[in-house]
Amino acid sequence: MKRMNSDLTPIQGLYRLAWLLFLAFVLHAPAQAQSYEVADDRGVSVRFDAPPRRVVSLLPSLTETVCAIGACDRLVGVDRYSNWPEAVRRLPQVGGGLDPNVEAIVALKPDVVLAATSSRVSERLRALGVKVVALEPKTGADVRRVIGKLGELLAVPGAERVARDIDAGVAAAAQSVPPALRGQRVYFEASGGPHAAGPQSFIGEMLRALGLANIIGPELGPFPKINPELVVRADPDLIMAGARSAGDMARRPGWQRLRAVRAQRVCVFGLDEVDILVRPGPRMPEAARLMARCVTDQGAREGRAP
Amino acid sequence: MTRAPWLALALLLLACLALAVGVSVGSTGFDSLRHALQDPVARQIVAEIRLPRTLGAWLTGALLGLGGAVAQGLFRNPLADPFLLGSASGAMLAVAVALAWWGAPAAAAALVPRLGLTGAAFVGALGGVMLTLLLAQGVQHTLRLLLAGVVVGHVLGAVKDLVTLAAPEVLAAMVAFMLGNTSLIGWQACGVMAAVLLPALALAWALARVLDGLSLGEATAHSLGLPLAPMRAALVSVLALATGAAVAQAGLVGFVGLAAPHLVRSLARLTHGPLVVLSALMGGLLLAVADIVARVLIAPQELPVGVLTAVLGGTYLLWLMYRRTRGGGGR
Amino acid sequence: MGKVEILHALDLRLPAGRWTAVVGPNGAGKSTLLRVLAGLLPTAGTVTLHGRDLRDWPARERARQLAWLGQGEPGAEDLSAYDVALLGRLPHRAWLAPPTEADHAAARQALQATQVWDLRARRLGDLSGGERQRVLLARALAVQAPVLLMDEPLAHLDPPHQADWLAVVRRLVAAGGTVVSVLHELGVALHADELLIVRDGAIAHHGPCASPDTHRALQAAFDERIRVLPVQGSWVALPQEEPIHADRDTPH
Repeated sequence: MKRMNSDLTPIQGLYRLAWLLFLAFVLHAPAQAQSYEVADDRGVSVRFDAPPRRVVSLLPSLTETVCAIGACDRLVGVDRYSNWPEAVRRLPQVGGGLDPNVEAIVALKPDVVLAATSSRVSERLRALGVKVVALEPKTGADVRRVIGKLGELLAVPGAERVARDIDAGVAAAAQSVPPALRGQRVYFEASGGPHAAGPQSFIGEMLRALGLANIIGPELGPFPKINPELVVRADPDLIMAGARSAGDMARRPGWQRLRAVRAQRVCVFGLDEVDILVRPGPRMPEAARLMARCVTDQGAREGRAP
Repeated sequence: MTRAPWLALALLLLACLALAVGVSVGSTGFDSLRHALQDPVARQIVAEIRLPRTLGAWLTGALLGLGGAVAQGLFRNPLADPFLLGSASGAMLAVAVALAWWGAPAAAAALVPRLGLTGAAFVGALGGVMLTLLLAQGVQHTLRLLLAGVVVGHVLGAVKDLVTLAAPEVLAAMVAFMLGNTSLIGWQACGVMAAVLLPALALAWALARVLDGLSLGEATAHSLGLPLAPMRAALVSVLALATGAAVAQAGLVGFVGLAAPHLVRSLARLTHGPLVVLSALMGGLLLAVADIVARVLIAPQELPVGVLTAVLGGTYLLWLMYRRTRGGGGR
Repeated sequence: MGKVEILHALDLRLPAGRWTAVVGPNGAGKSTLLRVLAGLLPTAGTVTLHGRDLRDWPARERARQLAWLGQGEPGAEDLSAYDVALLGRLPHRAWLAPPTEADHAAARQALQATQVWDLRARRLGDLSGGERQRVLLARALAVQAPVLLMDEPLAHLDPPHQADWLAVVRRLVAAGGTVVSVLHELGVALHADELLIVRDGAIAHHGPCASPDTHRALQAAFDERIRVLPVQGSWVALPQEEPIHADRDTPH
């Protein structure tokens, strides 16, 4: 600290004081800036004094995204459905997304819990003093937003790179679909019910990127539960479904008449592949590749591919 | 007749035992209890998670047991349960609507998150009962009340199905609610339930003689000078509030309301005054034990407590039927 | 459910301190009449008790004056016989008050009067038809009301117990009580002080049991299919194979 010389005029002394105060403010500000707020998908703002070091994730897509942006080592607990990457399988499991074990979560002493917006446990955890950030991506834009938000939350730089990689990967998969096979009308069954993937969902966007048309219109929402008759009337060129749903497809009334069923233009994905396809996260390029391979394989089978 | 106080004491002691066990078991096991004094997280687990959860399960069971005794007395039907008057379907519809709205960003700042699912379920339960009363045009005719309850149950259930079709993403959460869940009960929830249980018990006990008179038939009850209409209305309110509070906190837990009065009656022959109190104590014990079993059976996973009570209750009813057909039907 | 008029244009005066038996063919409206008297059914006219409209009586006072025993009504199957009898004391008990000594004494007297004191700890649902009926009777007696209305009180009772019931009623009337009972056992009904004959929803006759007019009216009410005969100082009604013609020379 400089000694204030008595030979300084009062004005000069004032300027020096002002400069010291300004310096102090500037130096202090970054320390204060460490405290930040994150707004989750429900509009709730959560304040953090430091980036969270212990993270519990209750949604598989969020688990995968956290690992993709390089914060995998910060995960201390996951839900029972999170299974990628391999390291995650060794973490303690705290129940399902809908029925998480409150005690187990609290015992892990998390700095933040990542949950879906539809989870009831958020209230309980907040009442116990645990910070909860609720994120649930449904569309492609959601995925980019969630990646950015997680990067912001965990104070990890590199989040935009992950988003760009996803876009690039999907685009590359799209390139692999030859023009002759584009324009086909597709029905994608996302889960039993049947729930279809509409064009607004992230799956629907990938289908569009691959040059395929969706028989489900946008007015039905991202993942509507549809009447199987709708599929019969629309008569898609190609059907994509998981092994569980595909099993009884032929037995649905009227489905025997479908061109896709008769010509066996049905892509059936195994359980692992279904996991990749239905999670809006960093493995979307792989999902796009799976779908592209489905299209090209079908095309090759029928001798339509070049 | 002097059995009642001893039975009450026994049920309370067993409840304390259940509380002690409930505090010691959970996904982190006995360690949390041992380290509760030193480790703040362990202390939080024991004092803020396990203790209110076990106590909350007991309070929920007590509310349901009370409701069951009142329902069986009001309708003179041993198969009556507290959800008869549309409270279950009303709560389910309200929860479905709340979940569907919750997803929409517009509702984020609105009433719904503040009210929460518990508030929605409570309001829905009361609404269902009021709709039943409206349809039955008052409490005078028991048969009309029963029929109205069935109708309301079906209609509200259909509306709930429409809601879940329009917003299919809430279906999984709805099922979780319907299976019954005590894992989210904290101290605030316990306070709310206790605040409902005590006045409900007092009122039911004061009105118990109406239930006694009703057990002899409506004509005799009338001839005994019992003011049936206002007392019935009061009893229906007790039923609505008790089941509403229980459903709001723990979802639809079945069979506790049905089985608790039966179990009490199999142990002692009582008029309705002691019966409603002992049914509450028995119901509380049943659900507290079910909650512990739900936590322990497939640890570290948990069973939804409603599944357990359904299995246990169903088994009990089967045994009742078997005993009755074997004994040649005493009633 | 629309309203059906079952009883028409009644004007009835039931004297106090007497036992009136209400008889008549099936479906005549006897039970309905009794329920109207008890205030259990709506009427276009009025029912008065001690000169005051029944509807003007406060419920508990009315309950202390008028006791009712219904026919085929549900019982509290799970309660003990003693508890059921004690329920009859409800009109006398203050709210939230436990039963008093007087209540217990009344219940005991009632159970002893109907010979079921030994069964007092048994569950109502476990008793036989006759025992159950006697417990329900005790419940009505425990009210100790000056007016007692009973609908088919002798259901399931074998003759010795019918005789006991008769003794109870006689004692009540001797002490100043009023009893009105619907009976289809004509032999017992003819022991009453007065007979009220109901037919097709109207009162066919109301008169003393000992009077020949009453006997003739009784025979007429049953289309002359019965005959009233004296036996050992009282009267019996015997079924007839074919109708008898009014014949003054026939002794009766």
